[in-house]
Amino acid sequence: MTLFTKDDCDLCEKLKKQFDLSAMDIHVEVLGNNDAGALAHLAWHGLVERARKALPILVLDDSSALHEFVHIESHLLDRAARCGVVAKRAGKQAGCESGSCALQ
Amino acid sequence: MGVVMPLNAETAQARTHQVVNEDSTDIALFVRSSQDDMIGWNRQRIVDALLRETFLDRGTAEKISRDIEVTIQAGKVKTITGPLIREMVNAKLLEMGLEEARRMHTRLGVPLYDVDQLLVQHNKENANVPHGPEATNLTLAEGIKKEYALLQVFTPDVADAHLSGDLHLHDLGFIDRPYCSGQSLEYIKKFGLNLPHALSMAKPAKHAEVLLAHMVKFAASLQSHFAGAIGWDAINLFYAPYLEELDDNGVKQLAQMMIYEFSQQAVARGGQAIFSDVNIYWEVPKHFVDVPAIGPGGVYTGKTYGEYEKQAQRFAWALFEVYKEGDAAGRPFFFPKPLVHITEKFFKTEGHMDFLHHICEVASVKGNTYFVFDRGDTAKISECCRLSFKLEASDLEDAKQPWKMRYSALQNITINLPRLAFKAKGDDSVLFQLLTEKLQLAAKAHGQKKKFIERLMSLGKGGPLSLLAMDLDGEPYLKLHKCSYLIGMVGLNELIRVHLGEELHDSEESIKFGLKVIAHMNIVCNKLAESLDMKFVLEQTPAESTAFRFAKLDLAHFNEEAEKVVQGNREKGEVYYSNSTLFNVGANMSPIARVEKEGLFHPLIEAGSITHIWLGEAQPDKEALATFVINVFKYTQNDQIAFSPEFTACLECGKTSRGLSEACPYCQSKNVDGITRITGYFTKISSWNKGKLGELHDRYRNMDRFNN
Repeated sequence: MTLFTKDDCDLCEKLKKQFDLSAMDIHVEVLGNNDAGALAHLAWHGLVERARKALPILVLDDSSALHEFVHIESHLLDRAARCGVVAKRAGKQAGCESGSCALQ
Repeated sequence: MGVVMPLNAETAQARTHQVVNEDSTDIALFVRSSQDDMIGWNRQRIVDALLRETFLDRGTAEKISRDIEVTIQAGKVKTITGPLIREMVNAKLLEMGLEEARRMHTRLGVPLYDVDQLLVQHNKENANVPHGPEATNLTLAEGIKKEYALLQVFTPDVADAHLSGDLHLHDLGFIDRPYCSGQSLEYIKKFGLNLPHALSMAKPAKHAEVLLAHMVKFAASLQSHFAGAIGWDAINLFYAPYLEELDDNGVKQLAQMMIYEFSQQAVARGGQAIFSDVNIYWEVPKHFVDVPAIGPGGVYTGKTYGEYEKQAQRFAWALFEVYKEGDAAGRPFFFPKPLVHITEKFFKTEGHMDFLHHICEVASVKGNTYFVFDRGDTAKISECCRLSFKLEASDLEDAKQPWKMRYSALQNITINLPRLAFKAKGDDSVLFQLLTEKLQLAAKAHGQKKKFIERLMSLGKGGPLSLLAMDLDGEPYLKLHKCSYLIGMVGLNELIRVHLGEELHDSEESIKFGLKVIAHMNIVCNKLAESLDMKFVLEQTPAESTAFRFAKLDLAHFNEEAEKVVQGNREKGEVYYSNSTLFNVGANMSPIARVEKEGLFHPLIEAGSITHIWLGEAQPDKEALATFVINVFKYTQNDQIAFSPEFTACLECGKTSRGLSEACPYCQSKNVDGITRITGYFTKISSWNKGKLGELHDRYRNMDRFNN
């Protein structure tokens, strides 16, 4: 499972703070950071155009992808519970405040 | 230019007599100058030229001229040419170690033998250029301008990289032009045909036929100011206000006139047909719905374009009826290329399935249709072989006054990817470092071309690019600040083969590594764009001759490595690298797999990509193709697809048959020519370069992949 993120993405940061992603065996790819591997991985899943509209994106083990923050959060909460990782819902989600939650 | 000053023929003899008497030397030598003149020897002319053209001091120039005089005297020749004197001076400069002076004193020209060859043999660098006197003029002029570009426009490191085949600077023979242009018909609808230096000016057209005449003439003018394609946005929509006066027959007649005018107008750039593209929409694109429509006479009709949907659809339908019929011999029209945009709104617009079947039938029968996929909110204008300009926020603002919508790429530069892999010897870090260096060099080259075009544009309406400097809407026609700078790639498939030992279609790992290469190019382009404030974008270069050139050069200079991966027939010299990010053309892949997998690369290549589906003799059902197109739109990332059937045109009986045959099936004549898509357009196979012939032989034809 892979979470595609970006350094200056508010929503990505919220998820990283909210969940111990490595403990949940979730690979984090950071885009827009000169990392051709991360961008290539995103392209492999056919998600470049999607990422240009919004991040984060969670790619599941069956290669399907979740794009809506609330769906990603719910999925991660379930997974956290299964992995025995403490996590709780962040509460009301205001959306991207900086306008930078997308691949430029 | 010779070292002698121009004289007219009448004064030459008198001047010769005078010169001989005045000069301290007594050489009874006539100099055949490059100014159509024969004049007497005058050593001073060498001095003058050296002082005028180089930074040499007078003493050195005098010494050189005396040395040359001695050499000529010793030769006891009676007549010598200006160009030869110049070469002798250059040899002297070299001998003296004055390399920079020699470079500045260079004479550009063509060997006699080469001209002899050019006059009789067909130059196949561009299959769209016919063989004839105009084409010869073009080739000769291009030869001089290429040399000029490599000496004067680009720095030696850039020129050397081009000459050695590390990268390819496209259209060097058109160094004094931008690469290509996409625009709106609204410009001539609003301003009429009012071109600089034209003998007459026309007011905005009042009738559809006149508008067509303006469009064709404007396109021809534009073609002589650009190196590549001339594209037109939403052509059926912008004609719509002129169509209300026409019945269906009239609309069909107009469609027929447009297609014939563009496909037969072999007048510009060496006598080639205007490389033209028309973008077509079934729906009214969102950004034009509320835009006030301009009608006959250049005046607003009082309606918006949203209200012209039906008229626009009538014209789109008629255009494809004409494409389906083909020309008088049933052959497909080569130009204008119809690019149909498949969008979310397309599927919500009434009649879309009928239209999709209609254009799919044309794709199957004649192959003309290009399916351009604009998913989500994407809007773009497409042209050339696959180039697309994505409309940004400022462009959508311009769309409110569509005559402002014009887009240009200033230059195209392609990187030889397999060579990087030869040099990297399997080391990823070295490979990516080399790729970065080549991208930086390409950016540098783009900067140099930009500076050169800026210089020409600064001469304004009195300069050589007066057409591009015209500012009928308050801005120069060429919006330099908005130009794109294209960076392409050739041979990703062969890079992978060298680096990983297998081809792109062989494994997921190959594709993933290929994606990493293109992702790296994308990232470096973006960084360069930011640092140099120039819009660098990746494009799948058409590489009609570049794929051949790179393969030939690599076989010459990296033979051991290249001979393992170069495609084609080496014995016949029909060698090539796979185009851009395309998979091996001969790979036995289902069309949907090819479209899907090649399409993974397309979002990283922002200035345009395409996947070709070679049909051979197959003529699939329109329904099967329509389903295929819908699936491509819904389930892949592919930017654009085209289906390419093959034809045999008989030059004896004039009939056209399906498939490539050595003899006409109707009259058995062997005087036939094949027709199919070379890279992004249809043309006659007899005009193809050897590399493309090799590729044609290897192409996997999807003969049984669709329902027949």
